[in-house]
Amino acid sequence: MKQKNRGKIVIYILTIIVLLILLFPFFVALSTALKPLKEVYTSPPHWIPHKLWWRNFTDVWIKYPLAQYFVNSFIIASGATVFNIILCIPAAYAVSRLKFYGRRTLLFSFLVVQMFSPIIVVISLFKIFAKLGLVDTLSSLIIVNTVFTLAFSIWMLNGYFSTIPIEIEEAALIDGCTRLKTITRIILPIALPGVVTTLIYTFITAWNEFMFALTLINTAAKRPLTLGLYDLVGRWEVQWQYLTAASLFAIAPVIILFILIEKQLVKGLAGGAIKG
Amino acid sequence: MNKDLTPYSKRKTTFWSTESMLAYLLLLPCMAILIAFMFYPIVYVFLMSMYKTNRIGMLVRFIGTGNFRTLFNTREFWEVTIRSVIWTVLAVSVKTLVGLAIALLLNVDFKGRKLARTLVILPWASSVPVSAMLWQWTYNYDFGLLNYTLKITGLWKNPPHWLGYPLSAFFANLYVDIWIGIPFMALVFLAGLQSIPPNLYEAAQVDGTNLWQKFYYITLPLLKPVLLIATLLSSLWTFNDFNVIYILTKGGPVNSTDILITFIYKYAFTFLKFGPASAMAVVTFAILLVLSLIYARFYFKIERE
Repeated sequence: MKQKNRGKIVIYILTIIVLLILLFPFFVALSTALKPLKEVYTSPPHWIPHKLWWRNFTDVWIKYPLAQYFVNSFIIASGATVFNIILCIPAAYAVSRLKFYGRRTLLFSFLVVQMFSPIIVVISLFKIFAKLGLVDTLSSLIIVNTVFTLAFSIWMLNGYFSTIPIEIEEAALIDGCTRLKTITRIILPIALPGVVTTLIYTFITAWNEFMFALTLINTAAKRPLTLGLYDLVGRWEVQWQYLTAASLFAIAPVIILFILIEKQLVKGLAGGAIKG
Repeated sequence: MNKDLTPYSKRKTTFWSTESMLAYLLLLPCMAILIAFMFYPIVYVFLMSMYKTNRIGMLVRFIGTGNFRTLFNTREFWEVTIRSVIWTVLAVSVKTLVGLAIALLLNVDFKGRKLARTLVILPWASSVPVSAMLWQWTYNYDFGLLNYTLKITGLWKNPPHWLGYPLSAFFANLYVDIWIGIPFMALVFLAGLQSIPPNLYEAAQVDGTNLWQKFYYITLPLLKPVLLIATLLSSLWTFNDFNVIYILTKGGPVNSTDILITFIYKYAFTFLKFGPASAMAVVTFAILLVLSLIYARFYFKIERE
């Protein structure tokens, strides 16, 4: 009994150490966001603010165009999500349900393509967008975010569609249901968790995207959150009490969304390696 | 509408069947977008890599393998390539080991385990660019809380100016990359551990095996597929990690923390040498293609089992 308790204590101590290490920068962010300017820039620093300075969380909206960045990120992420889902539902239905020449190769290439770094194409994409007159527009970011989440979305949805017994659909077809109706009335409602996961995944990825925004956006008013905050970090008179507050605002929504889909995401990435 | 009632499995696959046509129709919009904004740009990068380009990336003159030869004769290119390999190998090994350790810890049944599991996810759940910015502040030499904490806890009496010097900057970058990658590893391994039937351990208990033997003879072999797929995925992500390095150090001081992915970007958009940058992109593409082919083949293999 005594030994069992000792084991428990060890487990708790280890867990706390792990969490302290993994959450370290978030603690730093919280500590800094609650300090007034004078306390932020004292050396040596200290963890606990002498006086909790909650005003940073409201002041940052006035000091920085944070609201504008939020709106931009929201437009880009929702735009990409809408396009992604419109494009990937029919595609995923085709690869999971219909027999056609090249099906396996196509599925395989989706899995491969998903891993390509956008850096490889950013050089030529920049030129293509320049030709289309889309440089420095939010549309360009909606397009790239749609494109670079598409393969994984199709892959995820394909997994969900494939788990639905084909007999259900066949029965509906026999009963005179059209193909379109079987998709909207049967497949989509059953695979709804998968569709939601795909939606959230795309939204998060687009929300967090940085490299394309860095390359394609010049105008300050068109910056999404990631780029907007990065620009503020790069400035000489950077004020970290505001930046950490802004960062916490920026990551809160995606963290919540991410935790909702994390299990499905892990399953989709590791596939058959995880059973059950 | 097609009312062919033969069961799906018995139907023949022909190119011109109505079913095939429907499939191609459904795939058309998605494929059109992918071809226009992914395949065409890849082809174009190949093309650019064989041309002399001007400062705005216009093709000037065909020079065949000229860009590649220039690249292969640049010492820096080889330094960066070797660094990318070291970066990937080091980061993935640490992520795997620590991830496995955390998974084993969280596999023990204790109160608050669910909460701990959720908190462990946060580095992965957070936005990478924003996390990198937070780390930049954390690493700050004068006001950063990392060095302060290391000093007062006595863990490191004289911590370096992390982002100021090549070697420490490399490890500072590496650490952030590892920090982001650990949750995925821990979660995948945890899922793997939980799918191991407990009666295997019970049987081993009867045979009088110790903890290490259980781990070595039961856990590890059964975890092998998970381990393989997770390390493959992680290698791809680690190799592709642009955000951390670009935001923390921009590859500096003096290119000392660049890996291929950041170096391509720098060559193109800072030095405006689009030709050599494209050549580098082609090399990187080849590396990524091989890695992702291995991943995809392995994924398919275990999916079928």
